[in-house]
Amino acid sequence: MIGTTKKPLEEIFQAVDGYAKIAVVGCDGCAKVCMTGGLDQVHELAAQLKEQGKEITLEVSPERTCNIMHARNFLTPVKDQIAAADAVIVLGCGGAVQITRQTTEELGLTIPVKVGLDSVGHMDMVIPGVMAMEQCQECGQCILNETGGICPVTKCAKSLLNGPCGGSENGKCEVDPNRDCAWVLIYNRMAALGELERLQRYMAPKDYSKMSKPRVLYIKEGRCA
Amino acid sequence: MKLTELFQKKTFVITGEVGPVKGCSRLNGGPPPDYIQEALNIKDHVHAVNVTDNQGAAMRLGALAASVLTKQFGLEPIFQITCRDRNRLAIQSDLLAACTLGIDNVLCLTGDHIKIGDHKSAKPVFDIDSVQMLKIAAGLNAGQDMMGNQLSQATNLALGAAANPNFEPLDLQIIKMEKKVAAGCEFFQTQPVYEPRKFEMFMKKVERLGVPVMFGMVVIKSPGMATFINENVTGITVPEAWTNQMAGVPKADYKKKATAMTIELLKEIAPMCQGIHFMPFGWSDIIPEVLDAIRPYFPQ
Repeated sequence: MIGTTKKPLEEIFQAVDGYAKIAVVGCDGCAKVCMTGGLDQVHELAAQLKEQGKEITLEVSPERTCNIMHARNFLTPVKDQIAAADAVIVLGCGGAVQITRQTTEELGLTIPVKVGLDSVGHMDMVIPGVMAMEQCQECGQCILNETGGICPVTKCAKSLLNGPCGGSENGKCEVDPNRDCAWVLIYNRMAALGELERLQRYMAPKDYSKMSKPRVLYIKEGRCA
Repeated sequence: MKLTELFQKKTFVITGEVGPVKGCSRLNGGPPPDYIQEALNIKDHVHAVNVTDNQGAAMRLGALAASVLTKQFGLEPIFQITCRDRNRLAIQSDLLAACTLGIDNVLCLTGDHIKIGDHKSAKPVFDIDSVQMLKIAAGLNAGQDMMGNQLSQATNLALGAAANPNFEPLDLQIIKMEKKVAAGCEFFQTQPVYEPRKFEMFMKKVERLGVPVMFGMVVIKSPGMATFINENVTGITVPEAWTNQMAGVPKADYKKKATAMTIELLKEIAPMCQGIHFMPFGWSDIIPEVLDAIRPYFPQ
């Protein structure tokens, strides 16, 4: 899931300043789960924009707006309502915004597409409806087989591969005393599994070329470049 | 001079520490800056001084420039280099630069996180970690960069690393130390420990690594400093008993008391290790007295 948080309303109002008619597009995928961009939040923002004197031409929330197929299927039938707007605002991740822009371009519309959320990372829901946590950086070179299924690249503030730094204390991270030290978690997990000897292996520096942006996934070929 | 040469001669090695300032240190014919002056006060009592690298993740004069300046004033610097602010190109480049400029010793560190420093919105680098840096530095000493490319001239640096005897679980710290030694670490400097038995247990576990260990000594100057360390500095714990001893004397006697307590601690510690690394934080003037008192306890 892509985690999102709402931008401050003032920032949204500033983004749509000068546009009288607005189409509001949400996302019934990740943003719905984050309670930032489902249909409820679309209606909420639309009401707030109306209070600012804006005219709302569209309130929709496609299922996974980041998927061009869903975006096309959902937005093509409402092309006229999009065309009637001066700007589109998307309550979705940065991907949803850009797929919405692509869809409007495919529909032959040249219209500003704005973002109402901040994307804050690849998040895993650890407490349903309450807390999601970043646990994977999509580094393209997964080492979870070596670390007991706990990712130091993401869960260690310094992304250390060969053990903890000197700042770890009482099992907590120097950056945030409420955050577990990833390497103590890994050590305890490996000890429980009886695989501590695996931690003695030298882990070479990561190949960050596998994270060079923008990456493209060729699905049929099963490769990322 | 490389510290490793001293260890090979079974010398009990004494080092101090210099913290570069937030500011330029161009001399313009004037006296040495204060941080160099503090090191000069102990010049005849230490073999070398660490030069810290943006310590506490606070932006300061670069450690390499300050190391060179330290050397120009006749002290042997140990250039501390962290992974926080440099990617793998910059680390290798700075190690080549260090050797080129006459530096013989480096301490390869992870580095404090950006978030505890004074530029909290900066991008932390941490492209590689301290174990990987040691392996890369050993490669440069062998004449190759980390990609296997031949260097026109190899470096000749003594490679040090940090260790924390306070770490829990200690065995995880030992695993990391083993990796550092396998990567090329030739000496360790530890975080301070104020309980001799704890250090003894640590030394028993690391003895088999066969690498010299220097005990890190932060002189506690006041009960307030102890409280500050316990609340703000991770990886170091000042026991209540230590703080209480300090609190039991008038403020005017703190220095005398701290000197006496440091001597008593180091009398027990010195026989267990191969050197002492002093971090006196402004009280370098007590080091000569401390050394005179503990010299009979140095291992032969």
